[in-house]
Amino acid sequence: MRGVKCKLVVFGIFFLAPFMLLAHGVSSADQEILNTGGLLSYIYVGAKHMVTGYDHLLFLVGVIFYLNGFKDIVRFITVFTLGHSITLIGATYLGIKADEHLIDAVIALSVLYKGFENLGGFEKYLKLKSPNLLFMVFLFGLIHGFGLSTRLQSFDIGNSQFLTKIVSFNIGVELGQIAALIPIVFLITKWKSKKSYDSFYKAANFYLIIAGVALFVYQIHGYLNGAH
Amino acid sequence: MKRLLLAVMAIIVFSSHTMFLKLDSYFLKPNTSATIQLYNGTFNKSENVIDRDRMLDASLIGNGERIKVTNSQWSEKDSITLLNFETGEEGTWVAAISTAPRSIEMTAEAFNTYLEHEGIYDMLEWRKKNSALDSAAVEKYSKHVKTIFQVGEKKTNDWQTPLGYPIEFIPLNNPYELNTGDSFKFKLLLNGSPLVNQLVYADFKGSSNAHSHDDTAATDHHSHDNKPSTSSEHTHDGSTHSHEKEPEKEHRHSEDSESHSHTSGQQLRTDANGIATAQLTADGIWYVQTIHLVPSEEEGMTHESNWSTLTFEVTHSHGADTHTHEASEGGIPSYLYWLGSLLLVSILFLWFNKKK
Repeated sequence: MRGVKCKLVVFGIFFLAPFMLLAHGVSSADQEILNTGGLLSYIYVGAKHMVTGYDHLLFLVGVIFYLNGFKDIVRFITVFTLGHSITLIGATYLGIKADEHLIDAVIALSVLYKGFENLGGFEKYLKLKSPNLLFMVFLFGLIHGFGLSTRLQSFDIGNSQFLTKIVSFNIGVELGQIAALIPIVFLITKWKSKKSYDSFYKAANFYLIIAGVALFVYQIHGYLNGAH
Repeated sequence: MKRLLLAVMAIIVFSSHTMFLKLDSYFLKPNTSATIQLYNGTFNKSENVIDRDRMLDASLIGNGERIKVTNSQWSEKDSITLLNFETGEEGTWVAAISTAPRSIEMTAEAFNTYLEHEGIYDMLEWRKKNSALDSAAVEKYSKHVKTIFQVGEKKTNDWQTPLGYPIEFIPLNNPYELNTGDSFKFKLLLNGSPLVNQLVYADFKGSSNAHSHDDTAATDHHSHDNKPSTSSEHTHDGSTHSHEKEPEKEHRHSEDSESHSHTSGQQLRTDANGIATAQLTADGIWYVQTIHLVPSEEEGMTHESNWSTLTFEVTHSHGADTHTHEASEGGIPSYLYWLGSLLLVSILFLWFNKKK
């Protein structure tokens, strides 16, 4: 029983740390940092947005649950990185953006999708083979990158060194992603050998579905009520 | 149809250049290198650089001192003139430039179009009422621009220092003690005295769309500067005047998709004390601009104009420790997410564990 309690605390922190931070939006403090900190500040703010961007991390949690072995993880994370880098850099450079609530709502759906797929929802409820995961991770990578781009475009980043600033922000995103993934991969890998892993797996992926729905509703509500 | 085409052509062609001082960020650290960009064109796009010998004054004002900008501090990039400087001590600083007058000769139709386009409605109305729409014009013009920026946290009073320019905006509040949603009150001075009943335009470029990719975009522009040297001739509506080819094409006209930006935003009028108030409705870089144009008695001139702009930045707050736009702001507090999610995951885990 003591072991179960201990695990509960660990994975409680693991899943809920993002909600503790919840600094996913544009902040005046971040704008101040960008205004005065040079290119390093773009790396910092990019990393911060990735680490505190719970929707991105929840999606990656879902991806990592599905994977076996380090090579697999590197392959999928590389595809996700490629996807979000394309839209983050491209859309920001071209000044293309979407409503923040709408793009975040789609990102929330990606979290829901991953939880649903991990629980075998396609086969069980839709009687379908789940789509190619590598392709879906790339596709969702593009969408997450567009969300990050929309966020970056919420800042006043000026005209000078424009592309360098975008690339710096993207480097920050990658660094933040690595920093966040290390404990996530470690925890999931360690837990795999435990008896309670099956319960952890189900609880975590059910949580992803619920979190995905909740975030989706939250963003749509924000969009409809202009709460941003 | 011909008239319509001529009108359209005139609108495209007769787009004069407003001058702005801009920074990438208006919040700077003390004693660091910084750059101010001098735009001559629209707020979003500079069409040409300004030669140093055109500048009667270029000053930085901070901590009670007025520092003359030296020639070595200037550089150029594409069509933007750059002022490189060290920020100095903390405080609310001002940078300002006043240019020497130049003149331009315009046909009656060109002059009318220019008045309409630049929003100089008082003169246009006067011409209509006095049957002067057919009169050509020779206008003497000069530009006097300011920007206010914040170095560090400490607020100083340099923002209200009159610089003695022919026309200038004097804020009545420190813009860096204002936030989005506040009112920005200013006084407009002409030769040191309040300028009454003058049209002023206030507009902003929002933070969410602060960058522009058109700085180096090719434009098909030509000048209406009447210097005879190095000029080629070009006909507009039957009258011929010169088109200067030298790099600094002051007051020239361009095919510019933003050609109507001169009169966008809030249209204000100064009161009996030369005072007007703009509403700072959004985060971004704000600017007020005006063109004071009057008939001239000077020999060879029909009109004289003085142009002025003032730029500064407005945010929700100006401190790193002030509020943010976090997802929880105005919605569910973070700790409720935390508690709710912890409870949910725990219940799910226990339930699946028990079921097993």
